[in-house]
Amino acid sequence: MTHKEPAKIVDVGDGAAIPTKGDRGLFTAWRIAFVGAIAILSWLCLTRPDPYLAIVKFVPDGIYVTFKVTVGSILLALVFGLVTGLGRISANRFYNGLASLYVEVIRGIPLLVQIFYIYYALGRFVKIPDLLSAIIAMAVCYGAYMGEVIRAGIQSIPKGQMEAALSLGMTRGQAMRHVILPQAFKIILPPAGNEFIALLKDSSLVSILAVADLLRRGREFASESFTYFETYTVIALIYLIITLFFSKLIGIMEGRINENS
Amino acid sequence: MKTADRRVMVQARDIVKFYGRFKALDQVSLTIHEGEKVVIIGPSGSGKSTLLRSINRLEEIDAGSMVVNGMDLYSKNTDLTRVREEVGMVFQAFNLFPHKSVLENLTLAQIVVRGRSKDEALAKAKVLLEKVGLADKANAYPGKLSGGQQQRVAIARSLAMDPKIMLFDEPTSALDPEMIGEVLDVMKGLAREGMTMAVVTHEMGFAREVADRVVFMDNGSVVEDGTPEHFFTSPRHPRAQQFLSQIL
Repeated sequence: MTHKEPAKIVDVGDGAAIPTKGDRGLFTAWRIAFVGAIAILSWLCLTRPDPYLAIVKFVPDGIYVTFKVTVGSILLALVFGLVTGLGRISANRFYNGLASLYVEVIRGIPLLVQIFYIYYALGRFVKIPDLLSAIIAMAVCYGAYMGEVIRAGIQSIPKGQMEAALSLGMTRGQAMRHVILPQAFKIILPPAGNEFIALLKDSSLVSILAVADLLRRGREFASESFTYFETYTVIALIYLIITLFFSKLIGIMEGRINENS
Repeated sequence: MKTADRRVMVQARDIVKFYGRFKALDQVSLTIHEGEKVVIIGPSGSGKSTLLRSINRLEEIDAGSMVVNGMDLYSKNTDLTRVREEVGMVFQAFNLFPHKSVLENLTLAQIVVRGRSKDEALAKAKVLLEKVGLADKANAYPGKLSGGQQQRVAIARSLAMDPKIMLFDEPTSALDPEMIGEVLDVMKGLAREGMTMAVVTHEMGFAREVADRVVFMDNGSVVEDGTPEHFFTSPRHPRAQQFLSQIL
């Protein structure tokens, strides 16, 4: 019997770091950034309402669209990711090959190019709303990354769990559903949370399409008022506040789940 | 009833299994009758666990045939789950489901596989927990139990499926010495009730006391197959003699 040690993997996500309890340094860094961003934004609006308050009043529609794109994409990406992740560990060669191909192709093309491509490719064959095609484009991309997260989560569950379920007469599907996936979920949540935050930030790329997200609203305002510096200062601060808020929220959710186990 | 008259529960014929180029099983044949308790012993790497695991196809084999409860386990047409639901398996590492309570560990497969109602499954689970002496741990999670308790839950979980045969793969090897007894006691109780059992173990006392037959394996082959008296007092094969002289 030859046992191969699995290679150690250093996981570096591009999402905001989620502060964990006990990680005091990050924790205070989070506070400084979050409180600081809100303070600066408030101060700018109070001391120079023109143009700052005008910008802040102009962009909320865009925040709403950014949320719609992000939440829609992450939900769809989870579905794609689950199908892909299960495919990557499937014994069925065709399914496995297809899932691997999807991951390889997507990972090899810049996100911005994918968004353009999927948006215009979809537009060529079917008439669907811009927002929906932006969501699909984001989800196709993030589905590949999510697939890897889900695959790693499933593979981290000890082999004995599947064996025990099978020996009780369960099918592989039943074992996945009742035994493996519920356990993998806890392991998947932190990296999936990071993906969510990364997606939130990357959703600004859809502003190049005809989708009026936060960044796009900013561009519209700036090009009419010629207040580029002021507008992008506000846009950056709002993205920062939203991102920090969600990284905290995900950290809290994670803590809850760990407490319950 | 003489053993030979009983129904054959497991019929392994000329099983060959390779791990890469290592031959783990070399044309192994083994018959287990209904109600028989067979203890499989041998040095590590001799293929005993591999043989046991092939009885419910947790291992793929390279040649040979395995008929369990009248079904050809390695045939394409066999519904594997039909065989496995009749074959209980207890693992060295317990393999309880850590995200489910003790009670849920016992009811899950009853409901999902056997199609029993929740009430029916719960009633059965409670009886079995009583039997392994853990009725008070019904709502605990596996992580809160000692190794010995976890293994008794694992045995109860297998029994909840009303298996026709129970396989034990070194059930006490991962336990602290003071917990081995409680698990062996449960197994002895099962043996007295007439359960068909195949046990891979290093517990020679258990083999001597409970086994109808002792199978000794070495280098992927069965080299001794006989009564415990025969095996422990007058083994023929030099490898078995050497093994006994080392452990006794």
